[in-house]
Amino acid sequence: MATNAIDRTRRLLSLVTYLRDRPGARVDEVARAFGVTEEELISDLQVLPLCGTSFRGGDLLDIDTDGEHIWWYNAAAVNSSAGEPLRLAADEATALLVAARAVATLPGLRESDREALLRATAKLEAAAGESAVAGARMSVTFESEGSVFADVDRAIAERRRLRIRYYSPGRDKLSEREIDPIRLFAVGHTYVEAWCRRSEGRRTFRLDRVAHIELLDTPADPPPLQPRDLSAGLVQPSPDDPEVVFEVGLGGRWITEYYPYDAAEELPDGGLRVTLRTPDPHTLRRLVLRLGPDGRVVEPAELAVSARDAARAALSAYEELGLA
Amino acid sequence: MAIAKAERLMNLALCLRGTARPLTKRELRTSIEAYIEAGSEDAFNRMFERDKDDLRELGMVIDTVESLDGEVGYMARRDSNRLPPITLDVAESAALSLAARVWQQARLAGAASGALQKLRAAGMPLADDGQERTHALEPRVPAGEAAFEPLMLACRDRRPVTFGYRKSNAVRAETRQVEPWALECWRGHWYLAGWDRDRGDKRVFRLSRIDGKVRSRSGSFTVPVPGQVAVREAVAAWAGENATDRARIRLRSGSGYPLRARALSCRALDAEWDELEIPYGHGLGSWLAEFGPDVLVLDPAELRADVVERLRAVAKG
Repeated sequence: MATNAIDRTRRLLSLVTYLRDRPGARVDEVARAFGVTEEELISDLQVLPLCGTSFRGGDLLDIDTDGEHIWWYNAAAVNSSAGEPLRLAADEATALLVAARAVATLPGLRESDREALLRATAKLEAAAGESAVAGARMSVTFESEGSVFADVDRAIAERRRLRIRYYSPGRDKLSEREIDPIRLFAVGHTYVEAWCRRSEGRRTFRLDRVAHIELLDTPADPPPLQPRDLSAGLVQPSPDDPEVVFEVGLGGRWITEYYPYDAAEELPDGGLRVTLRTPDPHTLRRLVLRLGPDGRVVEPAELAVSARDAARAALSAYEELGLA
Repeated sequence: MAIAKAERLMNLALCLRGTARPLTKRELRTSIEAYIEAGSEDAFNRMFERDKDDLRELGMVIDTVESLDGEVGYMARRDSNRLPPITLDVAESAALSLAARVWQQARLAGAASGALQKLRAAGMPLADDGQERTHALEPRVPAGEAAFEPLMLACRDRRPVTFGYRKSNAVRAETRQVEPWALECWRGHWYLAGWDRDRGDKRVFRLSRIDGKVRSRSGSFTVPVPGQVAVREAVAAWAGENATDRARIRLRSGSGYPLRARALSCRALDAEWDELEIPYGHGLGSWLAEFGPDVLVLDPAELRADVVERLRAVAKG
């Protein structure tokens, strides 16, 4: 991760405090304590000897490492005042407190973890003092389906297979499948990443779409996998996926907030021409029906036809009942 | 570049924290290499002011003290800069470390790891490798839009802002003048609650609809900030979740699971159709239209008209 000067200064200040109290600290341990790689730590250790209270005097920090241990030959160069742990900044307190409160409200969290987190939050609030005030101006809520969550969590801990009945909105169908869960994650909603035994592939399931869940005695046996990198977003269309083009009016502009897209061109009437990709365009029939007068499919033609046929079928059903 | 600046900030921090008396600008300028090389007095002054601001962002409290002979000096007093004693056990530390990882937004991610580093330096224990990984859950907060960081700072510092805001059905953004109260992330989206000066009322804004730059305004808030800011309730009302009315629909057997999941009642009519009663709130018409020929709205008539109109538009296509 690229580090800016502010984050780096912050780390260097804490390093000074940490190393002052721990002569001969191990490189691997310090790197772990600071959440950096050993290379990053070594490069920090190359900056510290350039720091001190006067560049001319002999009081630059004489810190050195043999790659295994870290030695500080003149720890007295930093007096006890400058070497003490520094108070938390407002942003630091906010970042930790908001995160801790959000995680503590996850319905599926283990009780022991929740208690530890609440204790830590209270201690942190006390230690942060007035820096904690701004933390009340931000909050995060995760959605999670309590009982389903608990079963998935247990299956992961006990490495057991699950049988789920899962709702797929694209097809408006429930389907049974067995899955070997790998991990739970929350981005707005809560999801389980799993190896699906029916499709023999990696799949992501949203917990509020699990209609039924059953913990099996069969051991889970997912192939060794790297967890998906979610930093680029949850839905990551592949370049080979077919393209779908929509033209929406004012009332349909919201689709760019909900669907990842490749391009959105402004249209003269205030609408947008949106190009996106999806593995199975048919699953977007719902979107076409939802848009109604606010948008239409330009491509592929089959999608437009399938939506039109669905709308016509619905209208004739209304007519049969004398409702339209 | 980044190294040079971090080195300069470190030197300034060590000088200000280590001194028992206020240091004058002149003293600081002659003892920190980067300042000696700063060039003109102006360039040095600008650099020095920025550096003090940066150190304050990191939590330092820097006092400005005027001496008897009128010279200004700076120092970071020991008692106002020290982290109060805090003792966390291994379980508490592991829980905090997990929580700190939720941020994908760079500034908050940096601040969260910075906070952990300060706590580590103050003696927070490091969990065993295994211990931090026993958590099955990995919560993530999305990075948010470009508007996030300036709004976060404006909420923190209670500064009024202006920004362009595009309502979901508008082509052009409209300028809004807002006293920002709080940010909230719900269902993966960020919202801002605040006082809309032009409308003279509280409003909730969705960050993804903010267009262009968020600008700070001078001056302070004109309206008291309420003790409780209800962002989620406002958003839930838009989403039609506080519905009090009911609708009656026919649903094809085996389809529409989410409709069934929230149905107030459900009975089978024949082998093909079920009849359901569901809550009727804002946005239900467009949702029901998604189901095409698998849903028939029985009543109320206005909801049926809404759905039929949508279907007619698609049927023409």
